[in-house]
Amino acid sequence: MKFLELIQKIDLKIKLAAIAIFLGFTAFIISNPFDNSIVKINAKDLAVMVQAEVDHVNVDELADWIIKGKSDYRLIDLRTEKEYNNYNIPTSENIPITNLLDGELFRNEKIVLYSEGGIHSAQAWFLLKAKDYKNVYMLRGGMEEWNDKILFPKLTSNATQEEKAKFEIASAISRYFGGQPQIVTGNELTLSVANPNPTPKIQAPASSSTGGAQKKKKREGC
Amino acid sequence: MNAPFFKFDMFSADFSLVIAFAIGIGFGFALERGGFGNARILASQFYFTDMRVLKVMFSAIVTAMLGVFFFVAFGWLDLSLVYYTDTNLIPQVVGGLILGVGFVVGGYCPGTSCVSAATGRIDGVIYLLGVIAGIFVFGEIFPLIEGFYYSSNMGRVFLPDYLGLSYGMIVFLVVLMAVGAFAAAEWGERKMAIKKSGGVK
Repeated sequence: MKFLELIQKIDLKIKLAAIAIFLGFTAFIISNPFDNSIVKINAKDLAVMVQAEVDHVNVDELADWIIKGKSDYRLIDLRTEKEYNNYNIPTSENIPITNLLDGELFRNEKIVLYSEGGIHSAQAWFLLKAKDYKNVYMLRGGMEEWNDKILFPKLTSNATQEEKAKFEIASAISRYFGGQPQIVTGNELTLSVANPNPTPKIQAPASSSTGGAQKKKKREGC
Repeated sequence: MNAPFFKFDMFSADFSLVIAFAIGIGFGFALERGGFGNARILASQFYFTDMRVLKVMFSAIVTAMLGVFFFVAFGWLDLSLVYYTDTNLIPQVVGGLILGVGFVVGGYCPGTSCVSAATGRIDGVIYLLGVIAGIFVFGEIFPLIEGFYYSSNMGRVFLPDYLGLSYGMIVFLVVLMAVGAFAAAEWGERKMAIKKSGGVK
C-alpha cells in the first residue's frame, strides 16, 4: 500500500521517462532486433507450388504484357551486366543473381525472373521464396525461348492454315520487339520480310538485320 | 514512410487515401491540442522561452523508435517493407536550413501551418499559400537544380551501420539524449521564466 502511494506521488513525466529508459535499456540488451540468418521454409508448400507450375510465365504472356504496357510487375534480368547490355527484354532491370537479396526488391512486388535458360531463374526463385517474397515468377525457357518464339518465330513450308495464321500474329509481335520472323523452306531459311537473304538453317540472320535489336543466338547453359 | 500494410496488398490504393485522411486528421488534432496551431508558441522555441516543440518532437521520436524496435524484435513488423529515402547529405542540410529560416520568419512549419489554417488563423492561411507558391517555384526551377538535388548521395544510411554500433545501443543512446534534453528544457524554461519576471520567483 505504501509503495503504491509512493508511486502515485511521482510526477507523470518522471514515470514516463523511467519507462522510456527501461525500454531503451532492454533494447540495448537485445542489441539486434533482426534475425536474418535463419530462414524458415515450408517445404511442402514450395513443392506443391512447383508441381502446380503456378510460378511460370510464358514468353507470349510476357510479350503481351509488355505490348499492353502493364506495369504491375518487375522484370528482372539475372544475367551478367555484359549480357544484359548486349540484349535484354524491354522493361527489364538487371540484377545479377549475387545482388538479388541486396534490398532492391520488395517482398510484396510481383517479380518475374529470367536468365539465359531456366536454371538460374529457378535457383533465384528458390532464394526469394525462402526469404518470404510473395509473388515470384519465372519466365519459362528464359532468354533462349524468347529468342526462338518471340524474336525469331519460324514457319515451316508444310505448315497448316492454322499454323500460318498463328505465324502472322507471331510475326507482328516479333517486329514489335525488333526481331525477324523466318520461313523455313526445305533446308533453306528465308526471311518473311523484304530483302530475303537466305542464310543457313537455325542461324539468326544477324548480318541482314536492320540494326535495332539484333542479337546473337547463344546456345549455352544458364 | 510508407505503411507496411499497404505493400502487403491488404487494402487498395484508394482505401489507403481514406486511411491517410484519418491519420492526418488525428495528427492535426494532436498538434492543435498541443498548441501547435499558434505561431507565438512555435516561435518561442527559438527564444528558449517555451520548449514545447523540442519536447513534443523528442516524445514522438522516442515513442516511435521504441515501438518500431520492439515490433521488429517480436516479429510483428517487417522493416524491409518500410520505405526509406536515400541520404543526400549536402542538399538535405541546405534544405533543412531553408526550412528552419522559414520556420523562424513565418512561425510555422508546413504541417503546423495546415493546422493553423484549418482553425481559421489568417497568418496560417497566408503561410499555407506561401508553401504552395514555394512548391510551384521549386517545381519550375527543378531542372536547374536537379544536379545539386541528387548530389552527395550516400544511399540508405542508418546510424547503427554508420557508427558501427548495435541497433539497441543507438536506441538506448537516443532515449538518454531525449531524457537529458527534456530535463535541460525544463530547467531552461524555469530560468527564462525567472529572468522574464525580473528575478522574482
